[in-house]
Amino acid sequence: MASLWRKLTHHDGNGWWNLPHTASNEPNPPHEGPIGGAWLGNIWRIMTYGGVSHAGPGFYWLVGLFLSIVTLIEVWLFDIGAVLGGWYIPLLLILSLLKFIGVVAFFMHLRFDHRLFTYLFGASMVVGIFIFTLLLLLLEFGNQPPN
Amino acid sequence: MTTNALTFPRFFPRPQSETGIWGWIGTVDHKRIGTLYGITSFLWFLVAGVEALLIRVQLASAENTFIGPEFYNQLFTMHGTTMVFLVIMPLSAAFFNWLIPLQIGARDVAFPRLNALSYWVFLFGSLIMNAGWITGDAPNGGWFGYAPNSGVTFNPGLGMTYWVVGLNILGVASIAAGLNFIITIINMRAPGMSMFKMPVFTWMTLVTSVLLVLAMPILAVAGIQLQTDRVYGTHFFNSLAGGDPVMWQHIFWLFGHPEVYILILPAMGIVSEVLPTFSRKPLFGYAFVVFAGIVIGFMGWFVWSHHMFTVGLGPAANTAFAMSTMLIAVPTGVKIFNWIGTMWRGNIQLNTAMLFSISFIAMFTIGGLSGVMHASPPTDSQQQDTYFIVAHFHYVLVGGALLGIFSGIYFWWPKFTGWFLNEKLGIANWALMLIGMNLQFGPQHWLGMDGMPRRIYTYAENMGWEGSNLAASIGGFILGFGILLFMINIVYSRMNKKIAPADPWDGRTLEWSTSSPPPVHDFDEIPVVVYRDDFWFKKHPETISEYYHNDHDVEDIAPSATQTAEEHEDDHGGHEGIHLPDKSYYPFILGVGIAIFGIGFLTNTYVIAAGVPIFLWGMLGWSMEPVNDPT
Amino acid sequence: MTQAATTEHHTPVEHTTTGLNNRKLLMWAFLGSDVMFFGAFIATYLVYRGKSLVGPYPSEVLNIPITTVSTFVLLMSSLAMVLALHYVKEGEKNKGTLWILVVVVLGTIFMGFQFVEFREFAHLGLTPRTNIFGTTFFILTGIHGAHVTIGVIWMAFLAYSSNSGALRSDNALDLEIAGLYWHFVDIVWIVIFTVIYLISANDAPPPGMESVIH
Ligand SMILES: [Cu+2]
Repeated sequence: MASLWRKLTHHDGNGWWNLPHTASNEPNPPHEGPIGGAWLGNIWRIMTYGGVSHAGPGFYWLVGLFLSIVTLIEVWLFDIGAVLGGWYIPLLLILSLLKFIGVVAFFMHLRFDHRLFTYLFGASMVVGIFIFTLLLLLLEFGNQPPN
Repeated sequence: MTTNALTFPRFFPRPQSETGIWGWIGTVDHKRIGTLYGITSFLWFLVAGVEALLIRVQLASAENTFIGPEFYNQLFTMHGTTMVFLVIMPLSAAFFNWLIPLQIGARDVAFPRLNALSYWVFLFGSLIMNAGWITGDAPNGGWFGYAPNSGVTFNPGLGMTYWVVGLNILGVASIAAGLNFIITIINMRAPGMSMFKMPVFTWMTLVTSVLLVLAMPILAVAGIQLQTDRVYGTHFFNSLAGGDPVMWQHIFWLFGHPEVYILILPAMGIVSEVLPTFSRKPLFGYAFVVFAGIVIGFMGWFVWSHHMFTVGLGPAANTAFAMSTMLIAVPTGVKIFNWIGTMWRGNIQLNTAMLFSISFIAMFTIGGLSGVMHASPPTDSQQQDTYFIVAHFHYVLVGGALLGIFSGIYFWWPKFTGWFLNEKLGIANWALMLIGMNLQFGPQHWLGMDGMPRRIYTYAENMGWEGSNLAASIGGFILGFGILLFMINIVYSRMNKKIAPADPWDGRTLEWSTSSPPPVHDFDEIPVVVYRDDFWFKKHPETISEYYHNDHDVEDIAPSATQTAEEHEDDHGGHEGIHLPDKSYYPFILGVGIAIFGIGFLTNTYVIAAGVPIFLWGMLGWSMEPVNDPT
Repeated sequence: MTQAATTEHHTPVEHTTTGLNNRKLLMWAFLGSDVMFFGAFIATYLVYRGKSLVGPYPSEVLNIPITTVSTFVLLMSSLAMVLALHYVKEGEKNKGTLWILVVVVLGTIFMGFQFVEFREFAHLGLTPRTNIFGTTFFILTGIHGAHVTIGVIWMAFLAYSSNSGALRSDNALDLEIAGLYWHFVDIVWIVIFTVIYLISANDAPPPGMESVIH
């Protein structure tokens, strides 16, 4: 558990989710690539501008593509909403969360940056999501008469 | 370096003067801004105090006709709003400004111009908030502005619009100040000062600033919604169109409860500095006090509905919020025990600052306990909207926040000015305030239990409330006389100046290591911190072994600190290298722009358009002005 | 005086406790504050969802295809933003300026979409005063639009700076901070697009309450 936490929060862990470092004056870290394996790692390195510093244009285009595709999936889900019934709402929320993370982690560099930024932003996200969800639950279910 | 910076046409030269009105308008010095905050909020304190005394005169006897219901509504609304937003918050801000850079060993805050902007925006916001006194329709909807009573249907005229516009402008100031102090504390500490070597006041400032930054936007949302409802006819709180007035209560208290801690945490920080100094012991359980503060700052978000127990949220919600509210009393209790533990077997020195701090503990405990009483929904439905609640929060805010702040004033006055406040007058001031507040708010407990409702301008003769109310009114005047004595003390001490040395109390934290008052650049040399309470242990090295049992604890810290210090010297190149932030007029100009926006919301949309050029002038000038910020 | 001050202007050596830049920290902390701001508006919208007493109702006015296009535009402006930052950091002035301009143009197009949408809604009889949906919808998207407007002005200023050579690789931080703001505005829109448009667009009027005849 502790090591999982470390891998998730520390940038020097070496899990497959670990993307290249920002600090460019450090020696190049050994590259495993985003999902492991030398073959993918090679592509990854090209994508990320030689894998030296932060991600490069190729990688950004990829994220942009990802965002567009997820948006299209969202709209498609909306179109077939009648088929999915109430299920399309949680699905949509998950997809928008993916987009959200995509922009925050990569476009806003949070994934490559100092952890303090993540904490600053994450703390307010946690407080915000907590209290506003609580508020919605309260107004949705709060004043039902007791059985 | 080849620079190609953009330049911006300048209409007048950059401020240079240190004195006179232009010196103050152009200032970015955290000490002067702290002074501005202090003076302004003290003036508002007098205004709100007079409002309180008028209320007390009216309530001194039954069926009194001294003031009518309309004026009474305005008085209690503005008394509450002023005390919360224009007195306790900015008085705390005055302490933040003065002390944070000094306590962490910095030469200024992280963003000196933003700091000046906060002050100017606060000043203009407070003026707009009070403009109703001049036009004759002061806000009258209570400090919480409950919809729909604050809406335009039930409250036509400009009154509540002043309130909501003023509040939103003050919100800008608070958010800017909060951001500034977060960054300052995170990023401007002296070499060696890790987070857990920071003074507790600095810690409480950090927690308060985080709360400000996260809570004020919610108030801004409530304000914008009420504002558009009032001015542009939207339906946020209009039940005829499907809106829900209860939403106002939710949003307001989502802000309002963290706000309670915004008001009290700075005072807790002050007391945590005063008690160890005059007990001649380090703070008992530093980590507990700090973590209790952080826990309060977090849990404070999950209790807001205890202000709404009688709204009818349902048993499940009431139970949940009752439990979270009772739970949040635990970290508060932890702090109280730590303060008592600090004094335990200490070598206690009873001077004015210490007396204020000790009575803070006592009064705050009373207020806290009556607060836990109405954490229980059945009890609360008995107490809601009665004078019991009034007694509760006055014990917390006067007995807590205000006594804490006065303790801080007496404690740091020699540091701020270079001379002492008179102790005899100080003790009289303390005694009058303490007796006055107890006589004023004590009887309100049983008045409330007896069913006397809040916010009524008078009461019937045969209710049996006259005696207690008269006592409360007398208490109010005693309290007021205490404040008067404080002002007399300032004048008297100023005339018979008793010069203060740099370290008059044998203090513990870094601010006492520099001269009184501090030089413009705060520290001739940026201190290097090895210990918690570093200044104390450097003065009294023989006590180190008492508190640092593990030798390698110290060694761990020491080398890295000296190393950083060397690097530091390289950067600044000693004395001549001290650079201070340059003065600037742009914070003032930007503040004026924001104030004009506010006036525009009150009067005419075209006025907003008139504010745009001034606002843009401020923004562009600000961003293109060459700066010497401590970054 | 002006000239002297300008030539002496230099960014002092970074010296902060954490080694992080103050202004960048400030921007992140501000964004945290803005989370609460938008959070409260979005929560208000959700609380009032489906509470309108009169039309037009969301399904009658929301136009998903058009909004999909404007969403795409805003997402791509975010992409342009990172690319601009990349090239400015690399010292490729022309490419950097170009991509900043792309951000400005895409942001302006997004604002145009919003303007057209608002006008169309007003045409269909939906204003902030019509019903609770109008109130919550216009105020939330309007506040977001105000954020976009500020961002566009900021970006235009930076495009000018970049073109004149004042924005270089050594002070690319100015652009990075503006970029953080821009991306934040983008993620707020990601949430708004899902919550207001996709989820609510199926909220049809109760039978007999239809108000818009297409
Ligand atoms: Cu509360």
